[in-house]
Amino acid sequence: MNNAPTIRDAVQARLAKRHRAEMRFQFYGLAAISAAVLFLAVLLGSIIIQSIPAFTAHRLVLDVEIRPEIADPRGDGSEASLRRGSYNTLIQNSLRDQFPEAGSVGELRELFGLYSAVNAARLLNEVVNNPEVLGETLPFSLPISDDADLYLKGLTTDEEFLPGAAPLTLEPGMDDALTLRSQTGAPVFDVFLDLVQARQDAALDQARIRAERTAARAAEELDTDTRNSLEAEAQRARDLVQALQEARSDTGPVRLNSQTASLMLRAQGGVLRINALARDGLSAEGTWLVGPDTASQTAQDWSLWVIETPSIARRITDRQIVWARTLKERGLIKNGLNTTLFTNADSREPELAGVAGALAGSILTMVITMLLAVPIGVGAAIYLEEFAPKNRLTDFIEVNINNLAAVPSIVFGLLGLAVFINLFGFPRSAPLVGGMVLALMTLPTVIISARAALKAVPPSIREAALGVGASRTQAVFHHVLPLAMPGILTGSIIGLAQALGETAPLLMIGMVAFIADPPTLGLSGFTEPATVMPVQIYIWSSSAERAFEARTAAAILALLTLLVSFNAVAIYLRRRFERRW
Amino acid sequence: MQSSLFAVLALLVLTAVGFLIGRRRAVAAGSGRASRLHSLPNYYGYYLALWTGLPAFVLLALYGLFGASLVNTLALGELEREAAPLIREYEAQLARDDQYQALAEETQQIEAEALSARNEMFRAEREGGDAERYLRALGALTAQRNEIAAERQVRRDQVASSVAARAPRTIPGVRARAGFEYWRAPSERRELFIADARALAFNEGLASRNTEEIRAAALALRPWEDLFRWSAAGVALALSVAGLAYARTRIRASFRARDRVEGVVGLALMMTSAIAILTTLGIVFSLLFESIRFFASIDWRIHEFLFGLHWSPQIAIRADQVGQSGAFGAVPLFAGTALITLIAMLVAAPIGLMAAIYLSEYASPRLRAWAKPALEILAGVPTVVYGFFALLTVGPFLRQFAMMLGYEDAVTQSALSAGLVMGVMIIPFVSSLSDDVINAVPQTLRDGSYAMGATKSETVRHVVFPAALPGIVGALLLAVSRAVGETMIVVMAAGQGANLTANPLESVTTITVQIVMLLTGDQEFDSPKTLSAFALGLVLFVMTLILNIIALRVVQRFRERYE
Repeated sequence: MNNAPTIRDAVQARLAKRHRAEMRFQFYGLAAISAAVLFLAVLLGSIIIQSIPAFTAHRLVLDVEIRPEIADPRGDGSEASLRRGSYNTLIQNSLRDQFPEAGSVGELRELFGLYSAVNAARLLNEVVNNPEVLGETLPFSLPISDDADLYLKGLTTDEEFLPGAAPLTLEPGMDDALTLRSQTGAPVFDVFLDLVQARQDAALDQARIRAERTAARAAEELDTDTRNSLEAEAQRARDLVQALQEARSDTGPVRLNSQTASLMLRAQGGVLRINALARDGLSAEGTWLVGPDTASQTAQDWSLWVIETPSIARRITDRQIVWARTLKERGLIKNGLNTTLFTNADSREPELAGVAGALAGSILTMVITMLLAVPIGVGAAIYLEEFAPKNRLTDFIEVNINNLAAVPSIVFGLLGLAVFINLFGFPRSAPLVGGMVLALMTLPTVIISARAALKAVPPSIREAALGVGASRTQAVFHHVLPLAMPGILTGSIIGLAQALGETAPLLMIGMVAFIADPPTLGLSGFTEPATVMPVQIYIWSSSAERAFEARTAAAILALLTLLVSFNAVAIYLRRRFERRW
Repeated sequence: MQSSLFAVLALLVLTAVGFLIGRRRAVAAGSGRASRLHSLPNYYGYYLALWTGLPAFVLLALYGLFGASLVNTLALGELEREAAPLIREYEAQLARDDQYQALAEETQQIEAEALSARNEMFRAEREGGDAERYLRALGALTAQRNEIAAERQVRRDQVASSVAARAPRTIPGVRARAGFEYWRAPSERRELFIADARALAFNEGLASRNTEEIRAAALALRPWEDLFRWSAAGVALALSVAGLAYARTRIRASFRARDRVEGVVGLALMMTSAIAILTTLGIVFSLLFESIRFFASIDWRIHEFLFGLHWSPQIAIRADQVGQSGAFGAVPLFAGTALITLIAMLVAAPIGLMAAIYLSEYASPRLRAWAKPALEILAGVPTVVYGFFALLTVGPFLRQFAMMLGYEDAVTQSALSAGLVMGVMIIPFVSSLSDDVINAVPQTLRDGSYAMGATKSETVRHVVFPAALPGIVGALLLAVSRAVGETMIVVMAAGQGANLTANPLESVTTITVQIVMLLTGDQEFDSPKTLSAFALGLVLFVMTLILNIIALRVVQRFRERYE
């Protein structure tokens, strides 16, 4: 036994290594779980952060004068005449009163771009409902356009406010332009000049790098077409470098345009837009966007307002920014809870779009799914678990159900399209068909969970019932089914929650249409075109407007809340009624 | 609508009355003592109610399902019969029309050329020749054919309007013209025609047109509709009363009412479980039927569909649309599906498996109580939410990351972002299935291993894992089938271009994406473009079915081994 110590030594020597392997393995497991939880946290966190802007919205409250000659063109106060009135003109007039200096057609179009003309329909309804307001002035509240709303939430551009260093003189120049000059001879605009300079330098560097890189790639590229296009791109970049260099060496005044940051100057209660700056930072040229309170030649107290994002890179113009901020400072635009999101149906205008229509569609669809999937699923489960003889046919049904549970949901959509719509001629886009398709999809889930619940009821219950003379049907329906009910309900609710979040099969049967009117919550609603929450999310997520991004996230949160409450009910039922035998 | 609602209400009342009569008669038959009856009195009530209500409701349901289409077929068949002289005249004129016949010949010629170009293209693709050239030629030919088809249509319309104009302006004349218009219309126009006629006849929504012909069709629909509606209601009520009368005579004390009622209940239960089979049959037959129509429309070149490298299902409308020739080679879609599934499994398999092992072998009950629900939440998140996440968070992040690493052509919609997010979606699926499998491995195996001095991780790696391997393979196969059939994530995050590439940073397209693209938006039914979606659906169904069957088999075998 002289080799015993050597074996022990060998084992001892390996022990540390084995323990390290053990630690590593445990660490991998923990890392896997942490990764899954981290994904969940990032997913939920990013959606919550994205959704925050959608829960508030800026609304404009205007005093609108209901001028009879515009609202009531025939002058008889009848409903037909009131319906022909031009209510958008009333809103436009009221907005023009705020900014009398907006005169040209282009400026007016920008001004009226602050809200959507669809709002006039609501004013019409208000006037038609109480015709006595004719000739009066009433406050009318409307959501401002999504772009203005995003700007006021600070999501469009960075801004900077710099106090004026020294008093200015304002000299009238050509056309409407004013020349602004520092009174003390101190360079008052140099801060902004530095900013412009820095930005130009950055653009120059970027263009240079791009030119070099594309040239290098073109030299390596073998394919002729690709090389030619790369060379053309490199040439464009070189041209840009040249243009930027020329702009830098220019000694004339710096002109501000749609490619540069915008610069506003607030003085005398009005707002000027700066169009050009002298290189020495002593003088500038600008025009009034919002007229001053007093027409004086000097401005003691003034400030610079830098809008960093160039106007070409945003969907809101300089004027609209100035007007929106001015309206906010005048107290006419207020930020409040975005109730539109929950009371309106879909709309092309993000500020008017809501999930109410999709919610109604989801409810109608779920009613059909529930009415079909739960009774059929429970019936099938009872038959297979309690009555079916063990033979080839029942085996086949079982295999079938297990397979159906794993068939991709989109295939059920194809089935619905081919059978329900093309063969039976049911209406497209209707909750009826959607509910039927989802019912077929959830059926396996319901059957499998109901069978598990029935299996969990101990045979002694059945035997006791049969022993006192009940028939098999009576034993099942009077004794086994009530005891299995909590489990069946839990499974059904989980199946329905799955159906509530399903999208793909509903795209197949045309529930992806734009629906501006919510379906009626009644018998006729089942055959009207509708959409459902997940499809609404899909539609919004593919919209171009940025404001839909936040609304999509908010709709997702609403859907997740619904799903969580469904599951909470299921868990409650399980906890409350579950019996362990 | 009103009359059928009335019929339903009347039937409900009759059924209730049937129940009460049945009960009362049973009690009377037992001379007031329930113990003399074979069944409880209620069962006699149920028996009578079933006879009263069931046949009548079945009839009404059949009417509701098929009534409208039956009425349409009969009424428009009537109009078409009246249009027979016009139809004969029209066909005779077309046969005599030289211009039209010349166009028809030209079409045949072009189709023959297109066929040979297609075969050439396929050969070139296989042998590495210039497939692009044939694709372009094919596009030109298709455009030419469409042009001629349009000319033929114009010619046909001219002949048809001259024929229709000859019908007299009397009521029979208008009816004949309505039948003629309906006969000539392609199937989707027919549906519109019927919808408009029904809208006018029964106020079902708004008609898109209101012509003389449609009014005539509406007038033809009404008598049939009235006939069917009233006869359905009448026959239903008569059936109900007859059933009531018949069943009433059968009630005596010795009558086995319960057995009868339970027989019906058993039958109903059996029919509910048959729905699962019906669903499968429905899927198989609808996919097969539409796929066969698709393959017929591409002249049965199934090999081209399965092995062709070009996917551009748009049919050319103008001659200058190069490459828009309706090429149905699905290999780029299969490759895209495979690439995304591979990425997803690379994420989901290790993470899901390690999470399952840790949870079942190492985790404390407290950690389990936290981690399991978290994984369940991950499983319950709708796929459209994952798609949104992939599109707006993961996609841009990966693009930035790739650009930072010097890859200039990075796009937001890439195979990588879709695959990563899909992998996250599948993690809970893998982990819960493998958790079940690992828990099914008997404790004795572990105890034996510990007794030999193995550490926990050695036990897991060398004993538990090999024992659970078949089950784990089954779980992974199910996960693959899930990834192949997943739709929303790829629709939103993987892009639509049919690129044949293995680069995960490019956008690829999958089977499911193409099905969605082909079937949403404007679609004309019966075009090969739309029908090809069903062929893709068939491929998808067969693929997942095979995976599922193998997986379920494997898992079942595994369970049997340790039971």
